[in-house]
Amino acid sequence: MFKKVLIANRGEIAVRVIRTLRELGVGSVAVYSEADRSSLHVRLADEAVCIGPAMAKDSYLSIPAIISAAKVTGADAIHPGYGFLSENADFSAACRDNGITFIGPSPKSIQQLGHKAEARKMAVKAGVPVTPGTKDCVSVKEAAAAAAKIGFPIMIKAAAGGGGKGIRIVREAAQLGKEMTMASSEAKAAFGNGEVYFEKYIELPRHIEVQFARDMHGNVIAFPERDCSIQRRHQKLVEETPSPAVDKKLRAKLEKAAVDLAEAAKYVGVGTVEFLLTQTGEFYFMEVNTRLQVEHPVTECVTGFDLVREQLLAASGEKLTYTGGHNVPLTGHSIEHRINAEDFSRNFAPSVGRIEEWLLPGGPGLRVDTHVYAGYNLPIYYDSMLAKLIVWAPTREMAVERSRRALAEFKVKGVKTTIPAHQLIVESADFKAGKTDTGFMERLLAPAEPVKAA
Amino acid sequence: MDVKTLTKLTKWMETTDLEEITWRSGADKISLKINNTPEHNTTINSTMEPVLSNSIGIFRFARPGKTNHLKEGTLVKTGQELGVVEVGKDFKSVAAPSNGLLRIISIEEGKPVEYGQPLFFIEPR
Repeated sequence: MFKKVLIANRGEIAVRVIRTLRELGVGSVAVYSEADRSSLHVRLADEAVCIGPAMAKDSYLSIPAIISAAKVTGADAIHPGYGFLSENADFSAACRDNGITFIGPSPKSIQQLGHKAEARKMAVKAGVPVTPGTKDCVSVKEAAAAAAKIGFPIMIKAAAGGGGKGIRIVREAAQLGKEMTMASSEAKAAFGNGEVYFEKYIELPRHIEVQFARDMHGNVIAFPERDCSIQRRHQKLVEETPSPAVDKKLRAKLEKAAVDLAEAAKYVGVGTVEFLLTQTGEFYFMEVNTRLQVEHPVTECVTGFDLVREQLLAASGEKLTYTGGHNVPLTGHSIEHRINAEDFSRNFAPSVGRIEEWLLPGGPGLRVDTHVYAGYNLPIYYDSMLAKLIVWAPTREMAVERSRRALAEFKVKGVKTTIPAHQLIVESADFKAGKTDTGFMERLLAPAEPVKAA
Repeated sequence: MDVKTLTKLTKWMETTDLEEITWRSGADKISLKINNTPEHNTTINSTMEPVLSNSIGIFRFARPGKTNHLKEGTLVKTGQELGVVEVGKDFKSVAAPSNGLLRIISIEEGKPVEYGQPLFFIEPR
């Protein structure tokens, strides 16, 4: 095990990592920007060093500054947390070149699995189902046959496109010719290349993901799936495990896919495979996150694992703690609520200021991961997450009740939070019934959204 | 309690870091409260200007192969390199912000420094 670990991050995740380090008797080094002098991770760590000004690119994203901080403090490993440099292959390589262990996968693994097209190839190789689509670009002549093979609805995507641009959805064969022509000319105008390809369009899917861990000795384990379908503009708001839409049989399939992928990539560390789950129970590979995820605590709650500890074990060359096979058993149900400093009543506008009052909920089955305290001034430079409220209960129904109770106890003054949004979610009949998909939030907020002027 | 004693008491309080005292005798009660805490935004007047480290790293008075005989009490010029901060293979220059007298060197050769740490104090001239 390591002697001293530097945490190249801030906020709740830095606090989270320090806690495990302390339990393991490993020294901790916090790094902070000028704007984070009074942040909780600075106070909790054994040592803390200022690495740069407020702007993340000059502090939390500065590879030389962080490597230098590890060297001057004598840290033998770096935990990247999530975000910032956590999925940066150059950073992983810089750590290695400086004789510091990066607590995460190798630069090669990050490149292989972090790159969408590469990861998709790896998934195909590992026998993991991917979204049906054409391998190559489609000409107008081939279009009808190619689309029929995939099955409608399909998406026409620009080969040179990206970021959601140049995508057209076609629901029936009769529309294909017209849409093809339009997509192609649009792509040509936008990207200078009119080539397009097809992909199956999945209507209102669930976002399901499987946490896995693999050590250098080849032990690999998969954890019960997390359901992260409740999103707003691709930002997750609520995550739960297990998914109300997954039964034992499907769980076994999902977990096998994650294990196969980890094996194929010879991955070392913890990671997450994201899937789209259709209404009819098929799942398709989406992407891999080669880091610890924000929502990892729900998995910890239902399995009793400490995933940061597993990360540290894997990175230091030791064995994972679980040796009971590939599948980790689960107990009960867990839900996480991301509480952000955003004004729910003003279309989630960012809210900044001083936290005047901070009263956390308590009692049975609760966990709050946060770096916030009363009197804390929210810096404007970083993300808006204030806390993660995580509940555990023996059943989903009880967990939802517990969420409702805990959200009502949670009192914040000084800034606006998304607590009211979460209260709306837990009160909704669809959520109580477990009927969620990626369109859930849009439907829930529809009446409240301001009517657009014609 | 007479005014004289009260004045004495107040004077004495100012020499301590007490903010409030209460004196009781029978039915009489006197509470004294003084503002001993400095006002917010009070700046401590100093003629000296700090020179801060612009990076985390190892402080060197000179780049490799060079020497720099910097002494307290010598005159420095605006932009003069007082030392460098070694960050990996990079050396970040620490320069004098103004012409003046180098009054304090608060760093030693080869010591780790943080971003924003004062390294020198200059009395501008």
